[in-house]
Amino acid sequence: MAIRDDFEVAAGQVRAAVQRFALGLLVLASFGAMLIGKADSVLVENARVLALDLASPVLEAIARPVAAANRAIADLKEFASLRQENARLREENARLLAWQTAARRLENENEGLRGLANFHEGPEASFITARIVGDSVSAYVRGALLNVGRRAGVAHGQAVVTGEGLAGRIAEVGDNSARVLFVTDVNSRLPVVVERTRERAILAGDNSPQLRLTLLQSVAGVQRGDRIITSGHGGSFPVGIPVGEVVETGEGGVRVKPFADFSRLEFVRVVDYGVTSLVGGGPAAPAPPAGAQATGQRIR
Amino acid sequence: MRVDGSLAMLDRWGRLMLPGAVLLFFVLLTLAPLRAPYLSDALPLLPVLVVFQFSLVTPERLPGPFLLAMGMLLDLLLGGPGAPVGVSALGFVLIRAAVANNRRYLVGVPFLFQWFGFCLLALGFVLLVWIFTSLWTWTAIDPLQAFIQYVVVVVLYPVIAPLLARVRARDPLNVPELSRGTARPGETTP
Repeated sequence: MAIRDDFEVAAGQVRAAVQRFALGLLVLASFGAMLIGKADSVLVENARVLALDLASPVLEAIARPVAAANRAIADLKEFASLRQENARLREENARLLAWQTAARRLENENEGLRGLANFHEGPEASFITARIVGDSVSAYVRGALLNVGRRAGVAHGQAVVTGEGLAGRIAEVGDNSARVLFVTDVNSRLPVVVERTRERAILAGDNSPQLRLTLLQSVAGVQRGDRIITSGHGGSFPVGIPVGEVVETGEGGVRVKPFADFSRLEFVRVVDYGVTSLVGGGPAAPAPPAGAQATGQRIR
Repeated sequence: MRVDGSLAMLDRWGRLMLPGAVLLFFVLLTLAPLRAPYLSDALPLLPVLVVFQFSLVTPERLPGPFLLAMGMLLDLLLGGPGAPVGVSALGFVLIRAAVANNRRYLVGVPFLFQWFGFCLLALGFVLLVWIFTSLWTWTAIDPLQAFIQYVVVVVLYPVIAPLLARVRARDPLNVPELSRGTARPGETTP
């Protein structure tokens, strides 16, 4: 009996001590987590991927009705300006048809010339289409979560494109989920060329809607309205994906507005260029995983 | 000793789990691709609102270690590469402690006082995260976006907080000491 009482007294004391220092312990624990995260980034990366994989089914369930609601709101908005929109689209269509003719002619010509010059093209790209199931947009991150992962053939560093242009690159990959880091994120650095002058530059994000162009040579050649495309340097990105348009050239540097509309993204395509393993020193064009064939459609 | 039917037990467990489940829901909701202007800005701070409000009305159902776990989950889900994992956890824990130590000024007082308290604590949270993230990544992050988030969530508080406050036990005297605060018998504050 006495032993049991002693035990209860001791347990009570321990409980009181824990309660008294509870706040301190919790604060210490969170600092500890931050330090561990700084020291062992692989561990944190794995934890992130695990959390993403666990959360992505739930997010997918939330994303569908949310997307439907967003679409309904957008539809309502468009309804108001249907007539003008129609006129604008008809005009644009006429213009694009003219462009299509020009593009067909150039493509034929290009193919012929390539044949003559015995030109070797880079590896073919295949696409994996993905739904955006989550936004990881906060004051500090610009990104999104996709519902495809390693099983579908997604790998770290692949380019993510929309119909309009480049959206970002894959930053983390889980089994069935992946995180995209948008080009507007503060951590994003992208080797690009100015389409008109073929000048090389680095396009950096700073979490604002516009991007900053850091030129490697001179600023003089860049004009407002110049298109910026990926240069393919660094190897993981295909050459010539449109990224954005120069909107400002002044004292504050060159600002670029991305073509992709990040506020309306619903589906994106992950570009499997087949050279992501270059970073690890692998062969130039490994066979794409079986899953990629199933989910993604090959182009050309 | 009370003998409970299974329904009563379910009810008790439900009550016990509800605040945690709501917090988990809001943590997951921060990632929902909601494209409403301004509203989607506030999503990352809504868990802070939940933590504040539940620490106010029912702290015993939202223990510190649970908050720590939820904060870590939020950081893991939200943070990009290089962002500190655990800073939200630290913020949550500190908010809970701050509310617990200032119940005198926050429980059983007019709603405006609670709102003011939330303004202060949320500002502290935003500053904490901003400072830590800036230090951790060693870049000067534009604080404007964080400030917009803060303003939106402060404006949203009167809309969401009364709903969350309904999880408290009906009678202020029929609850544990910790969450009773300065409430008197017969008092029914919102």
